[in-house]
Amino acid sequence: MEFQFSVLANNYPALLRGGLVTLLITAIALGIGLAIGAALCAGRLLRGSALDRLALTYISFFRTTPEMVLIFWSYFCIPLIFHIRVSGMLVGSIVLGLVAAAYFAEIFRAGIEGVPRGQTEAARALGLRGFPQWRFVLLPQALRLMIPPLVNYFTELIKNTTLLAGIGVAELSLEAYLLGGQTYRYVELLSAIAFAYFAVIFPISLWSRLLEAKFRAAT
Amino acid sequence: MDLSVFTNFDFGVIWRYLPALLKGLWTNCLLTGLGFLCGGIVLGTILAFANMARLRIIRWPAFLFVEFWRSTPLLVQAVWMHFAFPVLTGFSTTPFQSGLLALIFNVSAYCSEIIRAGIMGVPRGQHEAARALGLSAAVTWWKVIRPQAIRLIVPPLTGTVISIFKATAILSILAINDLMRAAARISSYTIHPVEIYTTAAILALMTGLVITWIGSRAEVHYRRQER
Repeated sequence: MEFQFSVLANNYPALLRGGLVTLLITAIALGIGLAIGAALCAGRLLRGSALDRLALTYISFFRTTPEMVLIFWSYFCIPLIFHIRVSGMLVGSIVLGLVAAAYFAEIFRAGIEGVPRGQTEAARALGLRGFPQWRFVLLPQALRLMIPPLVNYFTELIKNTTLLAGIGVAELSLEAYLLGGQTYRYVELLSAIAFAYFAVIFPISLWSRLLEAKFRAAT
Repeated sequence: MDLSVFTNFDFGVIWRYLPALLKGLWTNCLLTGLGFLCGGIVLGTILAFANMARLRIIRWPAFLFVEFWRSTPLLVQAVWMHFAFPVLTGFSTTPFQSGLLALIFNVSAYCSEIIRAGIMGVPRGQHEAARALGLSAAVTWWKVIRPQAIRLIVPPLTGTVISIFKATAILSILAINDLMRAAARISSYTIHPVEIYTTAAILALMTGLVITWIGSRAEVHYRRQER
């Protein structure tokens, strides 16, 4: 068979729309994930408290249950429980955000706990306490440990946006699949979007590895 | 909020369709096992060695294969395998076969990196010491490097099993009769989505917890042997 680029050229508005939906889902999930992840991390840092246990339960629940199951459950059960109409895109993005929060919380915690104890003691010896100690001593070092895994999870998040195709959200992969059904040119369309995902995700993944190597060399 | 959905819970429906849901869950477990053994261990090991080969003609294709399968979503891979692969090759595959094939390739890419990191993680001094003792390359690999590499590989490799289990739920998109597909069909047939989806979610969570528990036990066991 020959590869017909015209299929892509003729259908680019739909693919572009799908790409924008994918971006929007990623943005919503990222915002929710970072906010709730930070709150969960704060809970985890209060060792042994009720909040710590609550955060731990949340994290293990969202890291153990398959994302697809959570998305299906939320999409089909929330309208019946709360008597509200929900859009698949919003529900799906929120679920992906809640899942991301569980991973982000552990990344934040590992970063903060990865800063050697001596740094806190040294800062205190220099008379730094409270906010300045946090802002000028702990945070810059913790960020170095957090950024590479955060960037890496970001690629996972982009890949997870495709799961919303399961509940009929017309993001990039579902658009391509539907167009494939209409035109019978699955090879062109599916290969093109696979390559598009690769073109976005691979550089980000390389960047995350580069950052990790750089920060490791610096410490 | 309407809690009557829960107070009017129809346990009869759950009871009647539990066998069908469990059968779906079994498909997920089967895919997880096959994906881990064929993809993670067999193909993962082959790719790890190919990626460390001296010959560029072996190393580069392996590198591209691993990076491509790591940097694209499984859902796209599965759909591509089912709809584009047969057109290109002329083989027609059932949804289960295409889903399994995509899963195996996806898992092999992730696991090959773990295996490669484990083998490269054995200190250089071990190679030098083995050579200084006059051991042949084969003996060095089998008696010195391999046992140490396995110790580095097993804990992260068992950690991938839970990710594989979560990933199998994605394959329901291809109409494989797995847990999610069974739940979707039963809930539209019985018009009891809350009961069916909640049961499916609990089954998936429990299976995931069991997998995590076994994984952590295996890790503890392995760490203890190390000493």
